Amino acid sequence: MSDAAIFSVTFSLSGRVVSCGADEVVLDAALAAGMKIPFTCREGLCGTCKCKLVSGEVDMKHQGGIRPKEIAAGKFLPCCSKPLSDLVIEK
Amino acid sequence: MMGDVRALPARRKVGYTLEAPFYTDPEILKLDLDLIFGRHWIFVGVEPEIAEPGDCLTVDIGPHAIVVTRDDDMALNAFHNVCRHRGARLIEERHSNVGRVVCPYHQWTYGLDGALLFAGHMPKGFDKSCHGLKTVHVRSLAGLIFVCLADEPPADFAAMEQAMTPYLAPHDIAHCKVAHSEDIIEPGNWKLTMENNRECYHCSGAHPELTKSIFAEGFGFKPVGAAAEASAARFHALVDTLHGEWENIGVASREIDHLADCVTGYRTERLPLEDAGESETLDTRVACRKLLGGLTQKRLGALSFWTQPNSWHHFMSDHIVTFAVFPITAETALLRTTWLVHQDAVEGIDYEKDNLIAVWHATNAQDSSLVGKASDGVRTSGYQPGPYSPDTEGLVEKFCVWYVDRLKAGLAA
Repeated sequence: MSDAAIFSVTFSLSGRVVSCGADEVVLDAALAAGMKIPFTCREGLCGTCKCKLVSGEVDMKHQGGIRPKEIAAGKFLPCCSKPLSDLVIEK
Repeated sequence: MMGDVRALPARRKVGYTLEAPFYTDPEILKLDLDLIFGRHWIFVGVEPEIAEPGDCLTVDIGPHAIVVTRDDDMALNAFHNVCRHRGARLIEERHSNVGRVVCPYHQWTYGLDGALLFAGHMPKGFDKSCHGLKTVHVRSLAGLIFVCLADEPPADFAAMEQAMTPYLAPHDIAHCKVAHSEDIIEPGNWKLTMENNRECYHCSGAHPELTKSIFAEGFGFKPVGAAAEASAARFHALVDTLHGEWENIGVASREIDHLADCVTGYRTERLPLEDAGESETLDTRVACRKLLGGLTQKRLGALSFWTQPNSWHHFMSDHIVTFAVFPITAETALLRTTWLVHQDAVEGIDYEKDNLIAVWHATNAQDSSLVGKASDGVRTSGYQPGPYSPDTEGLVEKFCVWYVDRLKAGLAA
């Protein structure tokens, strides 16, 4: 059993708020809560799940599905990102 | 009939315009797309269009849809722009920047090197390594991007690259930016556009803006009459003097002509310009204050570079204009013109776009109109091949010789 921290993830457009453990990727937490986020590869390759991270920090382990300039513009891939704080996502 | 069309190249009359089907017949267009555009080095764009990792440039040439990518190691790659799954077009936009090349249909995901990295829901044993994007050969000639769809591209590209690099390098294309780009649908077969480019017989009558700066003599035009001959003598003396001066400062200038005797046909020469002699502008002065590369001399005339089958280029001290022609139908073609300035040049401070593009924007429109008139005539019952002027249309003849030779070689293979 993990006793990792639990963070809240707020989806700003839908108004949904879900919980996400520090050892859980954001996509899984969102899907488990019934959110519909487009995704395909689940390993940071295809970029299908790309979202805007309005606030908060994540630990993202992508495999090229997002470019540095997109990250600099506030985008991230929920499929390969674990929360480091409470998050607000534009979705 | 296909059989008839394939017999036409062998009976082409030397020194005469091509027979009408070369400009009108969809079966000839198919031959052109297969044997000419499918088997030779085709100019498609410039490196500043794909300067950053992840940048993509798409180009369609008849049935060939191509994407050129810049990968994370800054290498250029080129592929057929079609998914190996269900055949969907991968990238729609002419210019884009991507992390991976992802098919919009089922998200098959390819690296910028074309390798298939991810394909969801495929069975165990599915071999991704057999489903990478189909590669297209790509080469950069000092920043000019050429692709070749053939399995075995013409090997003499290397000779052209070696010969041309000293001419192009001073203009440092890689550190330019695109200041403007213009697409025109030419109302005629692609060869009418190319043939029009290869002579300046028509310049004095058609191009008041262009002839402010260029000498028609530089494009194979040999005038007749005492006054015109004096002008030609003045021009050739100027060429000799300036070629010496320019080559002394490391700017290659003298003519090289392989338009008709190489598979990868090309020609180049740095030509003087009129009056101030600086640039192809309305006042013959530079349009951009920031000169290209490490150039310090404004008055470098204009380097012309022609490639078979589909491009020509003008390189000046301050800007570059490139032209690419792509067939669309038997009787239409795309002319893509791109103006480049130093990447640090600022519009409104170092250059005014209207002034930069004025000459070739006007000249393109005039040429397009002439191509339309030629197209309107060659499709009529009264057309029969007419004679080229040996004095002024020698380079058009070389285009036709190259084209017919390459068709014959392709048909014989």
